[in-house]
Amino acid sequence: MAWLTLLLGGLLRAAARLLPAGRRPWAEAVQAEAGEIPAGWPRLHWLAGGLWLVAREANVVRKVVYWLGAGTVAAAAAWAIWLSWYTAPAADPQAVTDRVRVLVGVAALVVLPWVGRRHGWFGPVGRSVMARLVRVAGCAAMCGLGVVVVRMDTRLTHGAGVGPFSMLREIVGVVLFGALLATPIIKARWPQAETEALWAYAGTAGLLLLIALPLQVLAIGYVALILAVTSRRSPVASLSLAVGSIVGVAAGLGIYELVNFTGDLGSVLFFIVVAIMFLAGVPAGLAAAWLPRDTEGPREREARIRQAMLAGAVAGAVTGVLLTLIFVLAVFLMIVGPVAGAMAGVVGGVIAADRPRASRPGRSWAAGLFVLGRTR
Amino acid sequence: MSRRTAFSAQTLAVLAALAAEPSSWRHGYDLARETGLKSGTLYPILVRLADRDLVAARWEEGEPAGRPRRHLYRLTSDGLAAATAALAAAAPAAPATRNRAARPRRAPAPRRLAGEGS
Repeated sequence: MAWLTLLLGGLLRAAARLLPAGRRPWAEAVQAEAGEIPAGWPRLHWLAGGLWLVAREANVVRKVVYWLGAGTVAAAAAWAIWLSWYTAPAADPQAVTDRVRVLVGVAALVVLPWVGRRHGWFGPVGRSVMARLVRVAGCAAMCGLGVVVVRMDTRLTHGAGVGPFSMLREIVGVVLFGALLATPIIKARWPQAETEALWAYAGTAGLLLLIALPLQVLAIGYVALILAVTSRRSPVASLSLAVGSIVGVAAGLGIYELVNFTGDLGSVLFFIVVAIMFLAGVPAGLAAAWLPRDTEGPREREARIRQAMLAGAVAGAVTGVLLTLIFVLAVFLMIVGPVAGAMAGVVGGVIAADRPRASRPGRSWAAGLFVLGRTR
Repeated sequence: MSRRTAFSAQTLAVLAALAAEPSSWRHGYDLARETGLKSGTLYPILVRLADRDLVAARWEEGEPAGRPRRHLYRLTSDGLAAATAALAAAAPAAPATRNRAARPRRAPAPRRLAGEGS
């Protein structure tokens, strides 16, 4: 027992260094008091409490989970790059396309989170566990998409369904991408430029870019969307994000089973879109609009329907990505999925917005030591 | 508009212990014995209270014989006012008793409908 106490004491002393200077006296206080505690289990408990204090104050658990997640994404990205470079036959024209796709996807995963470190659309990540989980899982899924596409290309003769490599198409894509990036620069330099014209210009460039480089644009767009949806400024509430993600995964697996039962994927694409609406969008919208308790606040109905639409879009996007990962050839589901899900989410929201769960005064799920609020 | 602060039962127990002798400096083990809280619960509460300037903390002066210097805690004037108000509000819900038996219900949390940001 004595050696365990010594060990925990040493650990606490070492762990205290993880704390910012202003917080260290608290760990030292636990250490200083330890001698007063009766030897044996009580002292061990006391020191363990000190370690817990350090873990909380230094955000140790969060840091460990963050680095594990970042490591997973990095490993998946490295695997995708390795596959695209070393497993494709040299004569395969798809190999170059795959390398471009994978590099673009990995670049998006590196550059956008780096941009997201600053407060803005992409970051920092929201405080909820779900926001962090969705961010890491989403980025890993984008890496997984790269892996799947490359693996399919090395095994199938038809490639991933977006055509063989074409230098002309890539150049057109780069030019269009530059045109798209020029939009904010134009707006900044010539503020008198008409906003509608700029939106039309950006929209056209984006659409043409999507036609020219579908998978690359989708990869960048999805990474940007994942970061935006999970950032602190995101309009998507934690509950809507959780509901959308869970329903999306469940719907994706359900649709996969249904398609397997039916047979040919090509003949059931329309059915899949309908299924995304009814199995992902509507349930997610219903849940996101119904679950928040009734507060009878102003404009509550609109807020519920808005969250239902966002939850539906998240569910549709998750289902779309999942099905694309499984079927690969169904890349278009990544575009149709969120749109169909958002439309169906609104339907679910309209149904549930008028019948929210009744509020239960006196009960609170709020955690933490303080609950801060405003009263009139 | 005014800010309302509701404390958890454990925080109330710490505030009650500190408010019992507001002018004297208390140390962690002393508070832990009185409230029945473990160090892993007590110290985070003290940290949060100190962050909000409700509790003042300092190291014991001089070098006491046979033991290290203690970290000492006392309610600030704001802390005493907040503790008095919170304990008065909690009293009808649960009569003050020693240790964890004192579990006044928390006030209902103000809800942010559709949290608009996580």
